[in-house]
Amino acid sequence: MTDRRRFEQQVLPHIDAAFNLARWLTRNDHDAEDVVQDAMLRAYRHFEGLRGEARPWLLAIVRNACFSWMQRNRPAELAAGPDAEAAEAATAPADGPEALLARELDRRMLNEAIAALPLQFREVLILRELEDLSYREIARIANVPIGTVMSRLARARRLLAESVRVIAVASRLQTEK
Amino acid sequence: MKPEEAARLLHAYVDRELDAAKSLELEAQLAADPALRERFERLRDLSAGIREKADYHAAPSSLAARLSAALPGAASIAPRRATRWILPVAAAALAAALAVGIALVRPGDEDALLREMVASHVRSTLGNRLIDVASSDQHTVKPWLSARLPFSPPVADFSQEGFELAGARLDYVGGHPVAVLVYKRRQHLIDAFIWPGSGPRDSAYSRDGFNVERSSAEGMRICLVSDLNRNELSDLARLLTARR
Repeated sequence: MTDRRRFEQQVLPHIDAAFNLARWLTRNDHDAEDVVQDAMLRAYRHFEGLRGEARPWLLAIVRNACFSWMQRNRPAELAAGPDAEAAEAATAPADGPEALLARELDRRMLNEAIAALPLQFREVLILRELEDLSYREIARIANVPIGTVMSRLARARRLLAESVRVIAVASRLQTEK
Repeated sequence: MKPEEAARLLHAYVDRELDAAKSLELEAQLAADPALRERFERLRDLSAGIREKADYHAAPSSLAARLSAALPGAASIAPRRATRWILPVAAAALAAALAVGIALVRPGDEDALLREMVASHVRSTLGNRLIDVASSDQHTVKPWLSARLPFSPPVADFSQEGFELAGARLDYVGGHPVAVLVYKRRQHLIDAFIWPGSGPRDSAYSRDGFNVERSSAEGMRICLVSDLNRNELSDLARLLTARR
């Protein structure tokens, strides 16, 4: 079997996962397409390096392609990273409120709130909740220790619950006007 | 376990990343501490809500086409060194195969199978042909299926665990007859496609907002299709494969 055939069997089926991650990180269809195409070609070139499961392996490549793309096109958003991290360490309470009732979760609000999360929190949240990856796999993809995955995930959920609540209140005020 | 540690481990517990010993400890704590219990429930609901309601962006078909053109090497038969007669012969063979509808062994077979199941699930929820035999009694459903299929699928009701057996139907997927058990959980319907065989185990396939959970046990493939979130879907998969 040719490399191309094997690639089409093992890696291409995960194109939806690749696109989903790139779309959530770049927040734009067009950019996500460019990034995924770039990542797929890179994956093809490094195909011999694939050991184990194809999906996390591919997602790591897509993630790196996204970050290089951001570096070139939206450096400001990447630069916000370390600050947000510091803020996280400074403010993260041991038991902040993730309080949010499922019925409050409006689809549109939720999607807006996820898109508004700082990049490093959005990343772990998407990998965990939409790709259903383990902490270990996420740590490998995001290239951080498992402990960091855990704290970012906790922070992501807390931020998300808070901002959904804020958006909900704001839209209620809007309709009351 | 200290309260701070319990609070810290809640996320890992919701994400099923805690080992058995720690889970036991935490569960004891959850039983004793209503406030902790409430936090756990909210966190679990938030996670389930994200899985259910966040957009899953599937790749546009134009992207696959672009990729196919951009990847080096040929997509199909590439007779670089082939003599001149091979191409027409291969083309004729391909045309003949297509004409008589022979399913060539393609890389997309598993993918096609998954698509068929999702389509079957969607069709059945759109129309009225959801259930051929409506019963929550496994002793009614199982004989009904066994009488109509060349195999006897496992049938069990999991109402206790929150998955109520609603009934079953017959379907034809991937070139063979299959049993489809229909389960209800809250407002969600779950189809469990079951047939003899084995296949890949991968919990994370989804298409058009539907999740597919693949597993197999004792010679049967069991594929669950639903708009239910993956965590709960894998709970049912575990129940179905453990019961056998």
